[in-house]
Amino acid sequence: MSKSYKENQPISAKNFMDEFRRYQKGSVSRRHFLGITGLGTAMAVLGTAVPGLATRDAHAFGDVGNKMILSTWPNYHNPVNIEEFTKTTGVNIQVNAFGSNEEMLAKLQAGGAGWDVFVPTNYTLSTYVELGLIQELDLSRIPNYDPNTQNPTFAGPATINGKVYAIPKNWGTTGFVLNTDKIKSGPKSWKDFFDVTMGAGSGHTIVHDYQLTTIGAALCALGFSFNSVDQGELAQAEKLLIASKPHLFAITSDYQPGMRSGDAWMSICWTGDGKQLHTDMPEMSYVVASDGGELWSDFYAVPTDAPHLDAAYAFLNYMQDPYIQARDFESHGYPTSDSRVDAMLPADIVNDPILYPAKELMSGLEFGAAKTLTDPGRAEVIARFKSA
Amino acid sequence: MTGSKKGLWLTTALLAPTTLWFLVMLILPLVVVVIFSFGDRAPTGGYAAAFTFDQYANLASRLKAFTNTLTYAPLGTLMTLLVAYPLAYYLAVKVDERWKLLLLVLVIVPFWTSLLIRTYAWIFILGGRGIPSLLAMIGFEDVRLINTSGAVLVGMIYGYLPLMVFPIFVSLEKLDKRLLEASSDLGGSPFRTFIQVTLPLSMPGMVTGCMLVFILLMGEFLIPAFLGGGKIFFIGNALVDLFLQSRNWPFGSALAVTLVIIMLVMVTLYMRLTTGSKTERDQSVM
Amino acid sequence: MRFYSIAVYLFLYVPIGIIILFSFNSGRHASDFQGLSLKWYGKALSNPFVLEALTSSLIIAFSAALLSSIMGTTAALALQRMKGPVKALFDGLIYVSIMIPGIVIGIATLIALVTVFDLMNPLLASLWPEGEKPLRLSLGYASVIAAHTLFTMSLVILLVRARIEGMDRSLIEASQDLYATPAQTFRLITLPQIFPAILAGFLLSFTFSFDDFIISFFVAGPNTTLPIYVFSSIRRGITPEVNAIGTMVLGVSLFLLVAVQLLLRSKNKQKTNIVASNSSGE
Repeated sequence: MSKSYKENQPISAKNFMDEFRRYQKGSVSRRHFLGITGLGTAMAVLGTAVPGLATRDAHAFGDVGNKMILSTWPNYHNPVNIEEFTKTTGVNIQVNAFGSNEEMLAKLQAGGAGWDVFVPTNYTLSTYVELGLIQELDLSRIPNYDPNTQNPTFAGPATINGKVYAIPKNWGTTGFVLNTDKIKSGPKSWKDFFDVTMGAGSGHTIVHDYQLTTIGAALCALGFSFNSVDQGELAQAEKLLIASKPHLFAITSDYQPGMRSGDAWMSICWTGDGKQLHTDMPEMSYVVASDGGELWSDFYAVPTDAPHLDAAYAFLNYMQDPYIQARDFESHGYPTSDSRVDAMLPADIVNDPILYPAKELMSGLEFGAAKTLTDPGRAEVIARFKSA
Repeated sequence: MTGSKKGLWLTTALLAPTTLWFLVMLILPLVVVVIFSFGDRAPTGGYAAAFTFDQYANLASRLKAFTNTLTYAPLGTLMTLLVAYPLAYYLAVKVDERWKLLLLVLVIVPFWTSLLIRTYAWIFILGGRGIPSLLAMIGFEDVRLINTSGAVLVGMIYGYLPLMVFPIFVSLEKLDKRLLEASSDLGGSPFRTFIQVTLPLSMPGMVTGCMLVFILLMGEFLIPAFLGGGKIFFIGNALVDLFLQSRNWPFGSALAVTLVIIMLVMVTLYMRLTTGSKTERDQSVM
Repeated sequence: MRFYSIAVYLFLYVPIGIIILFSFNSGRHASDFQGLSLKWYGKALSNPFVLEALTSSLIIAFSAALLSSIMGTTAALALQRMKGPVKALFDGLIYVSIMIPGIVIGIATLIALVTVFDLMNPLLASLWPEGEKPLRLSLGYASVIAAHTLFTMSLVILLVRARIEGMDRSLIEASQDLYATPAQTFRLITLPQIFPAILAGFLLSFTFSFDDFIISFFVAGPNTTLPIYVFSSIRRGITPEVNAIGTMVLGVSLFLLVAVQLLLRSKNKQKTNIVASNSSGE
């Protein structure tokens, strides 16, 4: 496969020449070329061993300090990428995992979080900008980012009032995952999800500790919009959630451990986590609900008071490299909005129905709405549900 | 008299740093929390100045967190006491002097790994790959232990056992063994000796231990969060949630104020009830 | 009763055993065991964030313990000379500071400090000399140390006061009769007698501060202490690195315990020797 991006896979002479021509034509980046051919690794090794031979990329990293803090979601990065970044730049990354956008916002709002890069979701960006919590990005410091190869559906929310505040990470859907060995009835919708929870699967369902997805799922099950902030609709959703609470296994956004250990049979789930579970345990099946759900895209953003700005830019640039993105995708199963990455992916991934759901399913999904982030009604519903 | 003036000056100087600390780190935060508890939630979260009783009016929506806390904390304290007492008794009365110290130290050693890590170990033990998988081998399929109230109680006992063992051990240790002998010489059955001699004498230790454990359990957050799967909510969890998810500072403040008042009332009552059993002296041991 | 005690010890140690066992796991996930390896120890020790968290925890715990031993002791000495409403007020404050749950202290301190800083920072900036970067107050080591010290200081006061009350007054009187200055009396008589309580207070304070999660979680700002690091590791999917950290901390504490024990034992021996020679001399 000429388009293989897998690391350390030997490349044939013909493929090498193909890639070299693509590079000369300018259709792929230098870094992509180096990555694909394995020359990148060789150069990096040489570069660190012989200072005089340091590549331009290594120079671009320059002295960017030795640490940065990344706040992100569970199971959302290829550890190989993180380790390689540390090796090539000397920057150690502390990864903090969060289970909801609200939690990230709360931490930033309280001040002095000390984060350098974090991963907010599309619908939160406008609020962050309004509150002055994230900074405009200097795209000249992220040469690997190419706005022209981005799918505007997913990348769009990053541009606010003509300024770019974030760069796309991945996108996906919010559906649910189920263990088909345990649940045989084949639930297809959120309505089925709650029926099974309160029926045959009682005691084995996980919902997120996250207002958007958990309230959203209940709203969809009742036939309302995923994003509703209507008081009457929210009250009904709350009733459904509280009724299902005794039948839940847990309320947590880190649902993989529970699913893997067999304690939980069904969980609200994001695409890539569904893919990860399915890959390791074929009985795990990811479902995009027929009665709605979420379509989302996540971004890398930099807090206004990021203490290690140079490291943050180095990281953003590194993560925008199509080769690195592809390697991330391979590990966590979340598609990117960058067409350069798609071009590098093997056919079985591009045609994966988990990752790229059918059109008719996609059309029922909604992007999260900014109002849900700050709506006091939704905040209270999820809080009352948890303390019920 | 210059002497007493000098004494007063010295006393003031000795107390000055502590006074400063109480002012800045205790009184100021409590005052701010009380003020905030009468405020409003800002549109994007946080605090907006106001004077309203809305937050207190909303307390009923966290009723379950209150009832949970007020059930689990006394229950957990009682169970810890029941588990700890025989051990403390054994250590204080039965064990040979040579081993006493070692065995006592072994009770605290687990305390030196972080509560977080110890609680995490229980997630594994009670989770699907722990005890339930062993039970499955002998034919009990699909037993669920993790994320149940039982799991939370086990975590509570495990977390605070040493705090209960120690004070009881100390008061039993002080117990004059000749009293026990005298009681049995006078024909008291071991049971009667225990009820009439040992138990009353170990009362101060029990009082102290229960208070320590109870206070800690009332503010507990980690154990229900980890072993209750986010389903069993204490006031502590509701508080963390309000500050770290809903960003509703005023309501969180009202909840905090209420928790503190409940605790003040309960602990004061408890101490009133238990004075007379030499609480005073034992408290200073704590 | 012996069997019961053995059962309780098992209850106490099975989780510890599991933590230690999994620290030698060569696999990536803490929950399935794949073989023995020391690699997570290496990883933990070469991870700058672990070392930084450890350093923070040590600095914070040591400072809090030191501050509270000093302030707690001076306060206990002062309170012992006092009577009346002022003393009652202090007793009340001590009682409240011990009783308030850590979570409330954490939250209250956070919102109070954030509010005060928001008021102070613009003021500081306006007063600051032109052209220089003004001092900005923010959450950090100081706020954690201060918040921990509130609780541990009260703990030390209680311990030291108990000791003072149990102290032999006749020695002090004797010392005064012999025209020793108050400073001399304190140094030669009072301090040695209350020292064990101060030491116990120091150690308790250190332990409390080192293991505290919830207060630090709210007021540490960007700093990470060891418990905060462990908490975020658990949330992002625990690796055996955390077990390795726990095992190492346990090992070091055990080592210190044994060392202190040996030290005390040799000291005790000296003491008993002296007592023995004294009584034989009579």
